[in-house]
Amino acid sequence: MSSVRLGYGSDRLVSNSQTKKRHSSDEENPSSPLQSRNKKICLEAQKEDIENMDRQKHANFSTMAPNGVRSMGLGKSKGSEKKVLSIKNLKVHQVAAVDHVSESWACLKEAVVAIQESRKLRENLTQEDLYRCVDNLITQRSPAQLYADLRDLTETHIKSQLENFINSSGDRLIFLRQVNDCWTHHCHQMKMVGNIFLALDRGYVLQTAHVSSIWDMGLELFRQHILEEVIVENRCVDGLLMMIEQERGGETIDRSLVKSLLRMLSSLQIYHKVFENKFLMATEQLYSREGQRLMQERDVPQYLQHVEKRLNEENNRILHYLDPSTKRQLIYCVEKQMLNEHKTALLQKGLDQLLDQNRRKDLSLLYSLFSRIKGGLDYLCSQFNAYIKTHGKTIVINPEKDRVMVQELLDFKDKMDGIVSDCFCNSDRFVLALKEAFEHFINQRLNKPAELIAKFVDGKLKAGNKEATEDELERLLDKIMVLFRFIHGKDVFEAFYKKDLSKRLLLGKSASVDAEKSMLSKLKQECGPGFTSKLEGMFKDMELSKDIMLAFKQNLQNMSKNSTLPLELSVNILTMGYWPNYQIMEVEMPSDMVQYQQIFTKFYLGKHSGRKLQWQPTLGHCVLKAAFPNGPKELQVSLFQALVLLLFNTTDVFSLDEITSRTNIEDTLLRRTLQSLACGKARVLIKNPKSKDVNDGDKFIYNKDFSNQLFRIKINQIQMKETSEEQQQTEERVFQDRQYQIDAAIVRIMKMRKIIPHNLLISELFDQLKFPVKPADLKKRIESLIDRDYMERDKDNPNTYNYVA
Amino acid sequence: MSNDIDSTENDGENGIDSQKPEKMFTLKKWNAVAMWSWDVECDTCAICRVQVMDACLRCQGENKQDDCVVIWGECNHSFHNCCMSLWVKQNNRCPLCQQEWSVQRIGI
Repeated sequence: MSSVRLGYGSDRLVSNSQTKKRHSSDEENPSSPLQSRNKKICLEAQKEDIENMDRQKHANFSTMAPNGVRSMGLGKSKGSEKKVLSIKNLKVHQVAAVDHVSESWACLKEAVVAIQESRKLRENLTQEDLYRCVDNLITQRSPAQLYADLRDLTETHIKSQLENFINSSGDRLIFLRQVNDCWTHHCHQMKMVGNIFLALDRGYVLQTAHVSSIWDMGLELFRQHILEEVIVENRCVDGLLMMIEQERGGETIDRSLVKSLLRMLSSLQIYHKVFENKFLMATEQLYSREGQRLMQERDVPQYLQHVEKRLNEENNRILHYLDPSTKRQLIYCVEKQMLNEHKTALLQKGLDQLLDQNRRKDLSLLYSLFSRIKGGLDYLCSQFNAYIKTHGKTIVINPEKDRVMVQELLDFKDKMDGIVSDCFCNSDRFVLALKEAFEHFINQRLNKPAELIAKFVDGKLKAGNKEATEDELERLLDKIMVLFRFIHGKDVFEAFYKKDLSKRLLLGKSASVDAEKSMLSKLKQECGPGFTSKLEGMFKDMELSKDIMLAFKQNLQNMSKNSTLPLELSVNILTMGYWPNYQIMEVEMPSDMVQYQQIFTKFYLGKHSGRKLQWQPTLGHCVLKAAFPNGPKELQVSLFQALVLLLFNTTDVFSLDEITSRTNIEDTLLRRTLQSLACGKARVLIKNPKSKDVNDGDKFIYNKDFSNQLFRIKINQIQMKETSEEQQQTEERVFQDRQYQIDAAIVRIMKMRKIIPHNLLISELFDQLKFPVKPADLKKRIESLIDRDYMERDKDNPNTYNYVA
Repeated sequence: MSNDIDSTENDGENGIDSQKPEKMFTLKKWNAVAMWSWDVECDTCAICRVQVMDACLRCQGENKQDDCVVIWGECNHSFHNCCMSLWVKQNNRCPLCQQEWSVQRIGI
């Protein structure tokens, strides 16, 4: 301990004499003219002093020379430095020595008292003389005696100081200043005294156990006589706490005073005992009160900002005057009182609002503050997860919002992704929580989200969607795939996607083959080749159909060499099974069309043996040339529309019944067709009586006065549109397929287990099936399989099933 | 328009349209759609229990869907060609009617 102190002291000497700039943080000494004069003496002496010190150190560790002529001894032991050092010292300072013990002590005492009373030293008494006195006393009397005398001297002085404080009637600030002054003086004095008695410190103190250095002795005495006095201690600590409280209240205080006094407490080693605990308690009370009050008064962002401000302030306090060892406890205390106590309330009150309003700055702050408290991030994360679930559910659950659901989901996902990466440091657990929450809420509503996502993709891949460039479309598809990943019932998506894809392909509405292929490869990547093999088959069919048509045209030309064909036929041959199932219907067509169709069928079956062709009139579409009196037009129409319009070549007026019997188109489809021709934007026919819907007995008249700015007019949009029947059929088909899958899964399990209890069977089924099912549905399938003798109930235990091979 | 086809078909019957020189609507282009399937009596291959329109399990596994065609025997029963070619190695009878198996045609 004392050796450390000593090292510290010598460090101080060097810094004072050499740089003067570096001011060690312990004391700032207000120097009166007198003191600075003293200091000058010090400084002059110090250069030699340092050299002396070195030598003495060596001497101390070798044998102590009894005659007191140290430099000689040193000269012998240290050969190389001998000349330079020894000559200088020996010659200059071999002046009148003060030999007598008592005389020496008198000199020293006089010097010490002068320092204590901040007086000038006697003119003819140099620093050099004083060193010699110390040396003399050490060698000729005993160092212990000298030490004791010095201690007495110091003690007396310090005791005398106490009076000032006991009787001080000034207010706290003045009192604190008094203490501080006393302390700085004390330090200053002890330093100078220490300089004079350096030899004592280096020799006696270092070598003797249980004796503290002169500096430490001073501190001990100061503590013992001044600060262990209860009145002083209390007034001092209370004063400090009061000042800090004032500062926390927003006032400016004399920080250097607080700093100096706290350093004093640290130096006296009573910082922890007398100050820290009280300080932490005061802090806790303050912030506990403040936290409760502000939670009531302020909204969450303001509160968080306040907490951040407070934390910064406390950190500053540590930098500026508190002992660094307090840091952990202090910050912990603030965090606990301002954050931990209120974490539930904070998140419940503020998180939803912050997330709703996308207030990223506040959210970042929230994250950084919550990362400070134990379990804070876990809690934040779970609340974040809960928010996504509730908010997401509102997007998904309401059928009235179906039209915008996917776009809203995409936006919501973007927003949450942004928040996680910007505000939550992209932390893994938040990324996971985000995923988990999305997967959870998106499946809250069965099947519909999958259907709507498929339709959304259709909307983006359809021709005429010019809002996005290729890159944008690609990025959008990627985002959609992210949503798709969350969906459990992927079969629903597949069914609707397939239905829409087939329309895009067959009606030539696909915006870009590249985009289609890219989407397909994404699906393949996500769900495996089994999922997309049929979709790929559809694209293959389209390619094959082109080849077949080329061959067919070649064939036709060979058959009718000289004539060109005014009617251009192109047929898409679909492989059954790849494509959605379409209603099979026979319609009446003009004979030339029928013949053309037959020619093709003959050609096709001639090329492929063992096949049969089923024509699908619902998907056919045509281009009609129309010779309106107001100018010729080209109409893009569905096959049904074409069949209806072609009737009007013979007569100008037809009734609904007549049209039905002549075309044989199914009633609802025909009505829809007529509606599109007579009630849509481009009215090629006139309906009588006029109304929005087609009713029994309506008559349809060829519209002679038809006019339109465009030459080509599309009227076949109705084909692209999904009818509610179509939607239902697609859905039902999915459910039908699911039943087969459930049956297959049950039989698979039964075949393996032979005997299995009901509950186990159900839970295994949940594991195997990739789409959401209700236990009631499973029970139905089990019943059905029991009826069909695939399995039976155990006779003794009705809750167990046996496999029937 | 129909005339050309009619003439090639050497079919004297004219369409109704041709009676009227000023036809209001003429069909210029027709995009028709047809679905093909194997011309079979039973949809399922009795050997592998997979629909004949789908590839047999072996071909599905080996990703040779396109090559998996159908074969008809003289008995008019049909199977996946690959299923049948394995079957006849063990038993040269139709699995459904037990008649001697002889190939009527193979689908292409």
